[in-house]
Amino acid sequence: MNAANTKTVTNDIQPITQPDSKGKLWREIYKNRTLYLFISPFYILFIIFGLFPIFFSLYLSFHKWSGLGEMEFIGLKQFSYLLSDTIFWQSVGNTFAIWFLSTLPMLFGALVIAFLLNTPLLKFKGFYRTAFFVTNVTSIVAVTIIFKSIFGNNFGLLNYLLTTIGLEPVEWLNSSFLVKVVIASMIVWRWTGYNAIIYLAGLQSIPNDLYEAAKIDGANLVQMFFHITIPLLRPIILFTVVMTTIGSMQIFTEPQVLLGNTGGVGGAGNTITLYMYKQAFVDRQFGYAAVVSWALFVIIALFSFINWKVVQKTGSK
Amino acid sequence: MDGKYSGLKKIVLHIVLLMGVFISIFPFYWLIVMSTNKTSDILRFPPKLIVGSEFFTNITNVLQNVDFFQAFSNTVFVSTTSAVAILFFCSLAGFTFAKFQFPGKKILFSLLLVTMMVPSQLSFIPSYIMISKIGWVDSFQALIVPGLANAFGIFWIKQYAEEAIHDSLLDAGRLDGCNHLRLYWNIGLPILRPALAFLGIFTFIGSWNDYLWPLVVLNDAAKYTLQVTLSQLNGIYNTDYGLIMAGTLLATLPLIILFIFFSRQFISGIAAGAVKD
Amino acid sequence: MFRKVFSLLLMVSLVFSLAACSGSSKTSSDGKDSDGKVTLTLWYWNRSLDDALLAKVKEQFPNVNLKAQKIDGADYKTKLQTTLASGSGAPDIVALNDWVTEFLPNSDQFVNLLDMGADELKNQYLEWKWNYALTPDKKTLIALPIDTGPTALFYREDLFKQAGLPTDPAEVSAQLSTWEDYIKAGEKLKAATGVKMFDSINRVFTQYLSQSDSAFFDEKDKFIGDSGNVKKAWDLAMEVHDKDLSANLVDGTEWNAAMNNGKIASFIGAVWTKKILKDAAPDTAGKWRIARAPGGDGNNGGSFLGITKSSKHAKEAYKVISWLMNPENQLQAYKTMDLFPSTPSVYDDPSMSSEEEFFGNQNTTEIFTKSAENVKPRYFGPKFSTVNTFFGDQLTNVANKKLDPDKAWKDVQKQVKKELSR
Repeated sequence: MNAANTKTVTNDIQPITQPDSKGKLWREIYKNRTLYLFISPFYILFIIFGLFPIFFSLYLSFHKWSGLGEMEFIGLKQFSYLLSDTIFWQSVGNTFAIWFLSTLPMLFGALVIAFLLNTPLLKFKGFYRTAFFVTNVTSIVAVTIIFKSIFGNNFGLLNYLLTTIGLEPVEWLNSSFLVKVVIASMIVWRWTGYNAIIYLAGLQSIPNDLYEAAKIDGANLVQMFFHITIPLLRPIILFTVVMTTIGSMQIFTEPQVLLGNTGGVGGAGNTITLYMYKQAFVDRQFGYAAVVSWALFVIIALFSFINWKVVQKTGSK
Repeated sequence: MDGKYSGLKKIVLHIVLLMGVFISIFPFYWLIVMSTNKTSDILRFPPKLIVGSEFFTNITNVLQNVDFFQAFSNTVFVSTTSAVAILFFCSLAGFTFAKFQFPGKKILFSLLLVTMMVPSQLSFIPSYIMISKIGWVDSFQALIVPGLANAFGIFWIKQYAEEAIHDSLLDAGRLDGCNHLRLYWNIGLPILRPALAFLGIFTFIGSWNDYLWPLVVLNDAAKYTLQVTLSQLNGIYNTDYGLIMAGTLLATLPLIILFIFFSRQFISGIAAGAVKD
Repeated sequence: MFRKVFSLLLMVSLVFSLAACSGSSKTSSDGKDSDGKVTLTLWYWNRSLDDALLAKVKEQFPNVNLKAQKIDGADYKTKLQTTLASGSGAPDIVALNDWVTEFLPNSDQFVNLLDMGADELKNQYLEWKWNYALTPDKKTLIALPIDTGPTALFYREDLFKQAGLPTDPAEVSAQLSTWEDYIKAGEKLKAATGVKMFDSINRVFTQYLSQSDSAFFDEKDKFIGDSGNVKKAWDLAMEVHDKDLSANLVDGTEWNAAMNNGKIASFIGAVWTKKILKDAAPDTAGKWRIARAPGGDGNNGGSFLGITKSSKHAKEAYKVISWLMNPENQLQAYKTMDLFPSTPSVYDDPSMSSEEEFFGNQNTTEIFTKSAENVKPRYFGPKFSTVNTFFGDQLTNVANKKLDPDKAWKDVQKQVKKELSR
């Protein structure tokens, strides 16, 4: 590819320079009008169904509203209530714990699986790929019901197996720690294959010569993994880390179906979104639910940003 | 080269992978076991581990209690339309974001990020209010259209387009006199195919399994999608697990079949598309 | 090739969407069909109404076309809320569960049935049930009663026998007439057989409270849950916990399995638990009996049928619901769906009585009808469910040994005070 040719012909579409007057800005916009046209179908819908609800919920957060009747303006009262709301903060802790218990094993497992699947001359690749990805296909509700019967406190399948090998049954759903493990395991089960496929695609784009050169230099599998594979996969890993974080901080269906609207015993499985849902649709406090969801947004934004920075930094060696 | 040694390595590799496969597949097996047994067998302790004989009874009950086939065709329609439409909207916008500069690009794009970080349940009520104002309550449009503004879709396409579509190709296209539409249609789309395939299937699955929003929006049972129809089987006071699991199996099977059928294409497609020269 | 397929698919889906566009029913229209019939929509959840009866509506009211929609019970309230909040799309007739009291402050969302002449129907129904859907000033009735859930003691006759406890229902009621007696019997049972008398302390709390004449709030919506009946209910639950007489299982698959495996000897439950028990524990058929409960009669659950304010055919809707809920039809619903009537005039009807094999050929209806007639009216108030959930959660915490009873009590009081402050 001739690098010199890449930016020569740019008659109608130019890189942005600092518009030194408003007129120039408008001219830029006019010049690129086709581009705006292209993104407009998406953005029109986005404004109606994406932005409007968000602004509405911002408005709601300053009001007390039961879903029917009048909205009562109460300013920042609900925000200060949030700060001392122990159940909310417990749900924050729970959500982070579940994130921790699920994201790391999931992404690491996905990497390992992808790496293994990338072995040259591996037979039955297609079968493995399908078998790992298919977990993403079932509805979350169905999966949760299945896991519920496997991890049941007294009569679940897993406890039965434990007793057959002479161990005591475990109260999976009553223990504050274990219930998070159960939820995390559902997330891991569902998403590992999915992320593995993404990583696999990335792996297959790494040129083999790099590995050959490393082998000649005497590197073993583990060294190659950490010094070639991971750095080159960095952008993809970044993508999955951010996506997974955003997704797992909003976990809702799994705890709701598994434990009910209050998040189970001692609220150990109560996630932020579940708490928000309960405030809105069970307790009919829509204003407060809006506050909770904004708190969640801030948390996710901050946390994703931190994640992103961390992954970027560890890669730059 | 390493003859026997690499043979052993291969076996170990397969064993490790098979263990993972077992974990993946076991819940499906359990689903089958539950849908072929009576509720009282499901609740028995020690649990019944093998496939039972109630499959046809349970399935018949499901079909008698709910209009399964109508719901099935509704779901196929909604999911397909959603998938195709999203490909269109997201590829147009994603392609544009990836390869072109224009004022306000950064702001517009970061707005998308915001919506991804706000849980969707809260937007139920305002979205529903919007829908009812446009008169779309109890319609398929209400299921399809709001989901089209999917930030993830744009992310996915943008990221893929940035890597896979080379500026040089676009420049060559412009030299040939292509306007923006042709650049998209003749050059961009074909290269985006694997990413589109992935996004399409992913959207299809998501739409197929969507439950809470269709429940809230649809009123006419004839329009119900599969998940909503099946939820009608949930009693408030008691649950016939055999029945529900059988229904779940029926709802999941088409997806699995579809997936197995297409997986070869799109998984290998992604890999092919990601290879740079 | 790919692009051809893509554009074809796109075109097809656009065409479909347009077709769906024009085909979508105009739900907000007049509702009058071209043949002069009136279309009424009704929302309910599985088994809350008799489907066969609903089908009969068109015979009874030839000018009415009733479209009944079944909606998943767990999310029913969410759907109803969302629809009412948007002001459109609501059905004409709507079933309401015992959370109907939460909607009393929003009684303007429903047609005031008293305006439609419901007062004349009042005597057909149990008074305490009627009052449930009445606003505190007694001026607005938002729904008619459907079914009730009178409670009684379910017990394992064979296990009682083993422990030397009375086995005949009348004797059981006589000897276990107070909660203190009930708990003592539980200790005796445990010593003799090792089986637990109670399934959960949550149930102890709930049932004691449902037998009382007040709940968490007084008629002025002042919180009274720090003393009186609520404290007594709590203390009883703690006593059962301390004496380790509870199996600590709340309803669900675990409870079902425990019932089937004979790990629990009794519980106070509503009449609709009969069917649940039968489905959950077929292996124990013939071993259960019903007796009047220790502590008295109570009620769990039961639903209501109302008309939304947005309905354009309130008069026709009223005719339909008052017909559906008349005594004969309630009797019919009991026979087919086990929905226990709220119309006492049918309690003596012979068809309500039968020898039930599962309960050793006992005629359980005798017990439940007496129970229904003796339920004490209680005031619930709009915050009942929220507060009830707090108590329930803390009880569960104690049961699972996460909190000690005193701390749990203090915590729940704090929680409620905080909740009520906003």
